[in-house]
Amino acid sequence: MKTLQYILLLITLTGCNKFLEVKPKDSIPDDVAIVDKASAQAALRGVYRGLASDGYYGNSFQSIGYLSGDNVQWTGSQSIVQQFIEHKVRSDNATVASIWVAIYATINKANHVIANVPGLNDASLTTAERNQLIGEALFIRALAYFDLARTWGGVQIVLTPTLSSADKKGIKRSTLAQTYAQVLADLEAAEPLLTLPTTQNPVRANKETVWALRARFHLYQKEWALAETYAGKVISNTTNYQLLKPFSSFFTPASAVATKESVFELSYSATYTNSHRGQWQPPANGGTRQIAPNNAVIALLNDPLTGGTRSTLLGKTVAGLWYANLYYRSPATDPAYIIRIAELYLIRAEARANQEKLPESKQDLDAVRDRTGLTGSSAATKADLLLAIENERRLEFAFEPHRWYDLIRTGRAGTVLNLTDPLRYVLPIPANELTIDPALEPNEGY
Amino acid sequence: MKQFYVFLLLFSSYNAWAQQAQTVTGTVTDAVSKQPLAGVSIFIKGTNKEIVSDAEGKYTLSGTAKEYVLFVSFLGYQNQDVKVNPANAHISLQPGNRTIDEIVVVGYGTQKRKNLTSAISSVNAAEVKDIPVAGFNEQLQGKASGVQINSNTGIPGDGAFVRVRGTTSINASNDPLYIVDGVFINNTSLQTVNSGGRATSPIADINPNDIKNIEILKDASATAIYGARGANGVVIITTKRGNFNSKPTVSINYSTGWAKAPELWDLTTGPQHATLVNEFYANSLADATSAADKTKYALPPFRPVSQGGRGLPEEQKTYDRLDKLFRTARINNYDLSLSGGGKGTKYFIGASYTDQEAIVKPLSFNRGSFRLNVDHKVSDKVMVGVSNGITRSYRKQGRTGDGPAGGMLQSALHTPTYLPEVNADGTPARWAGFDNLQVLIDNYDVNTTSLRYIGNLYVDAELLPGLKFRSSWSLDYNNYDESEYWNDQTQLGAAPTNGLATSNITQNSTWINEQTLSWRKNIGNKHDFGILIGNTIQSNITKSTFAQGSGFPSNSFTLISAAATRTASQTWTKSNLTSFFSRIDYSYADKYVFEFTIRADGSSRFGENRKFGYFPAIGAGWRIKEEPFLKEFDAISDLKFRVSAGLTGNQNGINNFAAQGNWTGGAGYPDNSSGDKPGTAPQQLANPDLQWEKTRQLNAGVDLGILRDRVNIEFNVYSKYTTDNLLQLPVSAITGFTSYYANEGEISNKGFELAINTTNIKTRDFNWTTSFNISRNVNKVEKLPIPINQYSRDWVRIQEGSSLYSFWLYKQLYVDPQTGNAVFEDVVKDGSINVADRQILGNAAPDFFGGLSNTLSYKGFDLGLLISYQYGNDIFNLNRFFGEGGGTRDANRVLFASQLKRWQKPGDVTDVPRLTAFGNNYTLEQNSRFLEDGSFLKLRTLTLGYTLSKIPKVQAVRIYFTGSNLLTFTNYSGPDPEVNVTSNQNIQGLDIGTPPQPRSFQFGINVTL
Repeated sequence: MKTLQYILLLITLTGCNKFLEVKPKDSIPDDVAIVDKASAQAALRGVYRGLASDGYYGNSFQSIGYLSGDNVQWTGSQSIVQQFIEHKVRSDNATVASIWVAIYATINKANHVIANVPGLNDASLTTAERNQLIGEALFIRALAYFDLARTWGGVQIVLTPTLSSADKKGIKRSTLAQTYAQVLADLEAAEPLLTLPTTQNPVRANKETVWALRARFHLYQKEWALAETYAGKVISNTTNYQLLKPFSSFFTPASAVATKESVFELSYSATYTNSHRGQWQPPANGGTRQIAPNNAVIALLNDPLTGGTRSTLLGKTVAGLWYANLYYRSPATDPAYIIRIAELYLIRAEARANQEKLPESKQDLDAVRDRTGLTGSSAATKADLLLAIENERRLEFAFEPHRWYDLIRTGRAGTVLNLTDPLRYVLPIPANELTIDPALEPNEGY
Repeated sequence: MKQFYVFLLLFSSYNAWAQQAQTVTGTVTDAVSKQPLAGVSIFIKGTNKEIVSDAEGKYTLSGTAKEYVLFVSFLGYQNQDVKVNPANAHISLQPGNRTIDEIVVVGYGTQKRKNLTSAISSVNAAEVKDIPVAGFNEQLQGKASGVQINSNTGIPGDGAFVRVRGTTSINASNDPLYIVDGVFINNTSLQTVNSGGRATSPIADINPNDIKNIEILKDASATAIYGARGANGVVIITTKRGNFNSKPTVSINYSTGWAKAPELWDLTTGPQHATLVNEFYANSLADATSAADKTKYALPPFRPVSQGGRGLPEEQKTYDRLDKLFRTARINNYDLSLSGGGKGTKYFIGASYTDQEAIVKPLSFNRGSFRLNVDHKVSDKVMVGVSNGITRSYRKQGRTGDGPAGGMLQSALHTPTYLPEVNADGTPARWAGFDNLQVLIDNYDVNTTSLRYIGNLYVDAELLPGLKFRSSWSLDYNNYDESEYWNDQTQLGAAPTNGLATSNITQNSTWINEQTLSWRKNIGNKHDFGILIGNTIQSNITKSTFAQGSGFPSNSFTLISAAATRTASQTWTKSNLTSFFSRIDYSYADKYVFEFTIRADGSSRFGENRKFGYFPAIGAGWRIKEEPFLKEFDAISDLKFRVSAGLTGNQNGINNFAAQGNWTGGAGYPDNSSGDKPGTAPQQLANPDLQWEKTRQLNAGVDLGILRDRVNIEFNVYSKYTTDNLLQLPVSAITGFTSYYANEGEISNKGFELAINTTNIKTRDFNWTTSFNISRNVNKVEKLPIPINQYSRDWVRIQEGSSLYSFWLYKQLYVDPQTGNAVFEDVVKDGSINVADRQILGNAAPDFFGGLSNTLSYKGFDLGLLISYQYGNDIFNLNRFFGEGGGTRDANRVLFASQLKRWQKPGDVTDVPRLTAFGNNYTLEQNSRFLEDGSFLKLRTLTLGYTLSKIPKVQAVRIYFTGSNLLTFTNYSGPDPEVNVTSNQNIQGLDIGTPPQPRSFQFGINVTL
């Protein structure tokens, strides 16, 4: 009968609900995620990691900017990449879907910080620190909506963290103007919360980073005076930001990260690698070189009169194949460059040219040219200057995600890319998302 | 035949007459019914004489002997040696081991087949053990009705696709529950290294030679006792044990053989490839509208080297890489066992070693195993016992499927044939993102070692007469050790990485404790009651430690400790399950059988609101043969109707913490440029209502025995309906998530199973039996809130109203003979072909499948033949998708010989469109042109053996030859219609870089002492 007693014991033991409550060891429940200063800081770092994820600035989002331009070719087999180059992106394109997902995931992470940090009850969290946390999250959310807007047009705006699967049902797309208004609202909210950096720290956002993004934002809105002002505010801090000479010193040697060139860049490490290099580097360097510079850009970069020292962006294999060498480190710790000081010079040059401040504009343009070992621009008229700036940007950011957006915002895509259908100036809303969310409307023409 | 007997009879009479005549006349009767038996074969030992009993069961022997020693054999009865003389000539035959008297292993017990109310297939392991695959589940293909088994690849030790009565789930497991000697074993591959989509099989850790019997429990009445894990069927494995009071028996088995790919892909030669690419350029130039495109296609790439080209087409060489990669593989197998028992103890000791090379270099599987099963009677009432199996499975791994770096099959198959293997300077050449094949073959260093213990300890005690108690403790422990080293010759380890090494050690342990109490009572020979109650507690922990290093001083250093950069990671996950179960059975006069089972399962996996689930089932059987109107009807030897209904669940295969809303810790980022600091991020959405899937199943069956069981027929029809499907349900990306676990979908499976076993001939020297089975399963996704796409490029789509494993494609109607352009079906009729025109076309699930086996023996010879077949399944041939790229991939992919059938001039009728970069011909990736019929009929095995029995001190020696996959009849254009690129359970029949199953030849010898 001892056995029977034993059975009863086991039954009472197992009947205990505790046995059925098992908690993971490498994750924590939602409700204890942001509870104090340390957990809020950790959550904010998670927002940056989201921004740096493969689908966003780690790889896919950046690829839209250069693939859709006219600098690169695709040597691989997947036609989903070729679709960008040919501007025939289909709504079932998997890259488009992964970018869309990655950007909204980053927004949700930022929303958690923005929603939870104000109410935190932690004596060790100073007001300045609290403001800093919220301000950085607002900045990242602004950048995310800016990227959504310039890629897809007006999108659905979500400003609260998601707590259950039913949270975000029935939200309609905002207009492009409303989406850009949200970007500006977040930037304006972030600006007073953030401080000026005591020492340069381009891997995190501060007041100057907000100004830099505002400069770009106003440029896109053709608000030339504002663009000029905000670009100028960043350029004026020459302690923190400088046009480095030679050109390659912002990305070589491998130890060159967070240089004075960068206003905002994302950091990678052996733990969190940047998947970018794989598609750029040739097999001899452990890559696939499926994305490669095309003949046109190779010629321009190698031409001492146009490329200058920017030819260092290119490498050549033993077999004579050219490849882009901006992302090359092993382990793959190449930073993702989001805003470089050169961009702010070129933003101001364009803003000034549009305000007929031609000599000042040329001065900014030449600053960038001079850095790369070129003589001053010969452009004399506004039109010439704008074209010179456009061409300069093409090479200055040859393998960074600018060309496509530049040609779209200046209305030059038709002329330069021979892309006359304006419906193709935005990407399709991912077909999957349209199936999942009945409130989401497709972009016209897809 | 009859004349022959008459002749013999006459002949023997004549002989007898010549000497002193002495006639023996007797009758053969059934020992139970006492009825005379007609047609019984009677052999006179020491002679070649055979006679047959007449219509009244009478026989006559005429001769000179005073006594005859006879061997009597009759279908449906036990063979018997008897001595007869004129005074004692009556022969009484004991009915034989009839199918209905078979002991069938059921959940927590055994039953006679005649008392079953459920659908259970039994397979005798001895019938299939010579099939040279690593896992016993693969050996069962074609053997059990209602069970679809496909080997996904030809690599030994890889996972197989096993479905019992169809697929019930999308995101939870669809594999049956495997139980070895009472241990619920892990059947999820612990593999983490990339092998190109394949996954290793945990089942391959079990030595098939240790197995005695396999039972497959199919309907709810049989599986409901396994509750929340029973919905996909249950496979119960019983390993070999000794017998009390038996002499020690030693069995030695050795086999050796060779395996080779029966067929490979048909590729273009270098000149053909060049011609096609030039044609592609010429056509594209003609089609080009923009200036950029006109420049791009202005010059054909295969023009004279002097003009900057790659040389003219006819100057191209052809390099055969497939021949370098594929080999004639060696297979060796050694088995040794000792079994026996005394009065109180019985034992089985087995040791085995198997070494199977894959036909793809340098992959191989080898397994060493040891088994010790002991049972000991402590007293008349108490028995204790252990089952222990220890295995070490070692694999040389490699990437065979998708993915360029380190992928040997892609490197061999997908590199254009005109590209040389070495560069001009003699260094190995790499093309199109693939590694150099020879470098891979010479430097591959990816290995996995699985160390597995599956064991059980039990105590059986008879507390009161008829009341039995059993307690058992079980452990399934697996240490799975993987390592990769990519030296600087390989793409992954090339400079600037300078060597890349990974190490991953995963440990999976499950412990189980079970108690059962059973009581059986027979009242008045008519009423038979049985009751069983029991409980289980089970806990599973899976944890792993991963390390990676890169930057090695040289290729001589291969351990991570020597690497310049080192990273590490760790995982841990746990689940608990606690259950109570009961079964009550009752039978009346062996005529009516009833059964009721129920299980309550509490699982840690599910939402706070849903911890416990209840799974009942009922079954009833009516043995019509026992009714008076049929009892005397001899032509029908058995007839039974069965019906069952019940509810089972499914909780396997999902993340242990799927119901919880969690944040991950792996999202670090620097505060300034001085290195990462810890970071957190939302990981998954909570669902407090998450619960197990529920499958309702109805089953009706007939068991029919004809002519003293000469023919046995089992027929089942079933209907399974699964609700609350565990789904990783897509959510709108604006939530910040892509999916969450929910109970949403519904899936149905309906079908029938027919199994026919016949004894065609049974004589003293010649025996021939045949088994045939055919099954049909119709699967349908009845309810799914939104379609779910699978695999890259969404080849496969799960959507409401369609079957699982459906392909989602653009339908190519034809190639216009005038223009050469492919014409696609414009489903929505909007004048353009876009995603709205994709449709479900084709399905990888078969309409019918089954097998046919024949066993023949003549004197010492035996011959076995197994055919398996499948009809109506489709394959999406991704190899052709790449190999018929029309030149769009130029130097990046091979062109298949089938590309040569392209349209060239007006009037050409073909389905391969005109080569061009423009239009839809080669840019619509999901083209139905690559969808092929995957039906097949395979001569799976042919075994010929000879047994020598008259060797002193040796019980028997059998030498045998086994050929596998000797013949395959199929319309599929690839080498093997049984293929699948991925271990993703929602994908079947997607063929890319999948090594075919080899054709193999083995010789073996089996000695029993």
